[in-house]
Amino acid sequence: MKSTKLVAVASVAVLGAGLLSSCGAAENGSSSSGGGDKKSIAFIQGVAGDQFYITMQCGIQDEAKKLGATVKVQGPEKFDPTLQKPIVDSVVASKPDAILVAPTDVSAMQAPLKAAADAGIKVVLVDTTVNDPSFAVSQIASDNEGGGKAAFDAIKSQVPNGGKVLVVSVDPGISTTDARVAGFKQAVAGDSKFKYLGVQYSHNEPATAAKIVTAALQKDPDIVGVFATNLFSAEGSATGIRQAGKQGQVKVVSFDAGPDQVKALEDGTIQALVAQQPGVIGQDGVQQAMNALNGKSTEKQIQTGFTIITKDNMNGDAKDAIYKSSC
Amino acid sequence: MSTTTPSPQTEAPTPSTQQGVTGLTDSSTPLYQRVIRMQAFQILLVLIVIIAVFATLAPHNFANLSNARQIVQNASILAILGVGMTFVIITSGIDLSIGSVMVFSGVIAAKLMIALGGDGWGTAFLGIGASVLTGLAWGMLNGFLIAKAKIPPLIVTLGTLGMALGLAQILTHGVDIRTVPQVMQDEIGYGNVFGQVPVLSIIALVVIALGMVLLHGTRFGRYTYAVGSNEESARRVGVRVDAHLIKIYALSGLLAGLAGVLSLAQFGTTAIAGQTQTNLNVIAAVVIGGTSLFGGVGTIFGTVVGLFIPAVLQNGFVIVGIQPFWQQVAVGAVLIAAVYVDQVRRASAARGRPTRSLFRSRSRTTPEEGSSEGDAA
Amino acid sequence: MTDTKPVLEARGLTRRFGSVTALDGADFDVRPGEVVALIGDNGAGKSTLVKALSGNLEVDSGQVIFKDVVRVIDSPTTASALGIETVYQDLALAPHLDPVQNMFLGRETMRPGLAGHLGFMDNRSMRKEARSAFDKLGATVRSLDAPVGSMSGGQRQAIAIARAVHWANEVVFLDEPTAALGVRQTANVLETIRRVASHGVAVVFISHSMPHVMEVSDRVQVLRMGKRVATYRTEDTTMEELVAAMTGATGQVAA
Repeated sequence: MKSTKLVAVASVAVLGAGLLSSCGAAENGSSSSGGGDKKSIAFIQGVAGDQFYITMQCGIQDEAKKLGATVKVQGPEKFDPTLQKPIVDSVVASKPDAILVAPTDVSAMQAPLKAAADAGIKVVLVDTTVNDPSFAVSQIASDNEGGGKAAFDAIKSQVPNGGKVLVVSVDPGISTTDARVAGFKQAVAGDSKFKYLGVQYSHNEPATAAKIVTAALQKDPDIVGVFATNLFSAEGSATGIRQAGKQGQVKVVSFDAGPDQVKALEDGTIQALVAQQPGVIGQDGVQQAMNALNGKSTEKQIQTGFTIITKDNMNGDAKDAIYKSSC
Repeated sequence: MSTTTPSPQTEAPTPSTQQGVTGLTDSSTPLYQRVIRMQAFQILLVLIVIIAVFATLAPHNFANLSNARQIVQNASILAILGVGMTFVIITSGIDLSIGSVMVFSGVIAAKLMIALGGDGWGTAFLGIGASVLTGLAWGMLNGFLIAKAKIPPLIVTLGTLGMALGLAQILTHGVDIRTVPQVMQDEIGYGNVFGQVPVLSIIALVVIALGMVLLHGTRFGRYTYAVGSNEESARRVGVRVDAHLIKIYALSGLLAGLAGVLSLAQFGTTAIAGQTQTNLNVIAAVVIGGTSLFGGVGTIFGTVVGLFIPAVLQNGFVIVGIQPFWQQVAVGAVLIAAVYVDQVRRASAARGRPTRSLFRSRSRTTPEEGSSEGDAA
Repeated sequence: MTDTKPVLEARGLTRRFGSVTALDGADFDVRPGEVVALIGDNGAGKSTLVKALSGNLEVDSGQVIFKDVVRVIDSPTTASALGIETVYQDLALAPHLDPVQNMFLGRETMRPGLAGHLGFMDNRSMRKEARSAFDKLGATVRSLDAPVGSMSGGQRQAIAIARAVHWANEVVFLDEPTAALGVRQTANVLETIRRVASHGVAVVFISHSMPHVMEVSDRVQVLRMGKRVATYRTEDTTMEELVAAMTGATGQVAA
């Protein structure tokens, strides 16, 4: 009797899973058994649910539609290679024609992605990269060092007289944010009016970023600018400055332009945003993947640009640069 | 008196109404083990059904050897942790610190191997040894605080979770170490034997086999069940409960240390920000596998099956193309179902009482005795 | 039989818990092969005395003499080593283990040679030994393979007693063994007690039930306010006399 019960429970669970699977697949509007020569593309995000990757996903889906390819999207719950690797392995097992992937670690994702390429799948690295990306048909990312310089320019235009500036980054070892920090640091070094206080790491936790910024303001109450290299760091930094009651004195310039940051921009806690062009990265990624699949030549490396968003232009010409929460 | 029997589920699974031990023969299948086996068997059935569903939905991509190989490889490190966790949970304890201990041990191993230099086996083995010993040390600390200082395991291991992670970040300044001897990555992390079988999985298999022998075959295992079943009784019959608990947590720590260095070999990075969910994933697998959080019950086999349920679900969902978030929903549902089944099973096995309170259980069951036709000759 | 020397004797045991004096110079003795009933009102010190004699409680002063030698029984293990076993009121069984595993818990028979040193147990011989121990007592155990938690109270009681008797070659303490049992099970336990004593083991039987005491014991020792106030030969006394001694209406030292 007991065993019947368990089997019943299990069957319900599994039936549910099966049901979900059919719904889920339908939701993505991409039945894999579709048109015979339709190319299938898998997009593996760095972390699921992040607006940057969602915007990129929108660009990918639009472009894929245009070029006649299907797209499936997967991503780990956290920006964590130990969670992303099983997903990559599973995606490889599903044998898509091409994979667009944002690797979560330069070392850890090297072998799994190399294996994907060895299995005949065209791999395009988007946003982040790995130690030896020679297996990839293309790498597409923002010119992150240039982004760091742009961030410094944004701070400079807010605080022309100079002062101390702090950087709040995510984790060391992420190629994109490291490059942003390097670009920023270089730009500060080129201007004697500014003093670089170094970089702190938020581990992608807004709460940690808030703690870092409040603590830094305790130590150096005269900080004039904070450069937060990504979304969560910026949200946390803004919270920290609010907690310390230093709104107005400390200018926050952040990378990326999610709805929350735009809100912060509206509220005046963040003064400028350096927006990447994730949609463009996605479009380019699909184009490069399709080129590779169709035997055309590919560009090994593409760097995309930035848009600086401030309160003044956010509803004007910079409006389209804001990231999306859904396509 | 049998008419006064209060609950309908008093009959044990065997219809043995025979009187006296002498009425039973050695050939009768051990009942207790049979129940346990049945539980594990049921979990296995669930897994088989899940596999069948995905195999139907994605016959070419899911049901093939290389995909199976990937699933097994990705579950290997968790399986090593699962062996330790099974012992811990059978004693009705918990070890939340394993993920952090993994990271910390990996960091120590990486630092040592950098200091030693060299890319060969010598360096690699010293690194492995250092990681295992570091894990062991954390485990002994956990065990000591739990057994001697009498601090609840949840709190102790929550504390060491934070300590190990914080110290790992202090040692590395938060910067992942990515210098790992090449042999380690090539031969252990991504190495294969017989062409197709990952070395990591072989190591996991050895750990699982040793764990099974230890738990189900030896006195150590017997004491593990006894401590989880009724700690006070075990103490009174002379089982050195404190020492045993220290050994259990030391084992869990040691295996976390081993897992840490294997993770280092597989990923080529200390992944300091990673492993945040590892403890909960492993605990979920152990519980799905039929090990009771109340202690006294559990098998390594069940844990292994319990690990494959989330692993197969995730893999299958990705291949079928379902939103990644659904995997968490599904695993959560399986977890709750597993615990529900455990409750039902324990309720009927222990006649409606959680097994902890033997005395109350006894008084409740008193009226049923007539039904078993006399207790002594 | 009653003329032989005591196998276990306590002299002037005293134990205080804060301001409460649980034992106040209590004496006690039991001889091989006899059943001694230990009676007294609630709080008279019966359980404390048993705990002290079975290594579960330290005393502040007093002597324990085992076979003419003064001993310090400071742990259940020490008591076990002397051949003294106790059946606790809660039975101290591990509910998830089977009767054989419970009987040998903490005293497993190991396999000979290297396997034993590696921690492997000789399950076959333990099972055999347990079976014969249960048979010897005529104890009914539904199954040697089912967890004892799934068994009835009477069966668990039988297992706990069989375990104690199996290991005790000198003294067995039974703390309220019939308190939670029905009529038939009680009769079985009392019969078991006589059977154990007939094997030459001293049985100390704590009970509130005067009829049971009268039925099974050879001698009765009465505790009141932490002291032994009376000792009777069961055949020479009555329930009224025992109750009077318990409540303090009379007091004598005899037998």
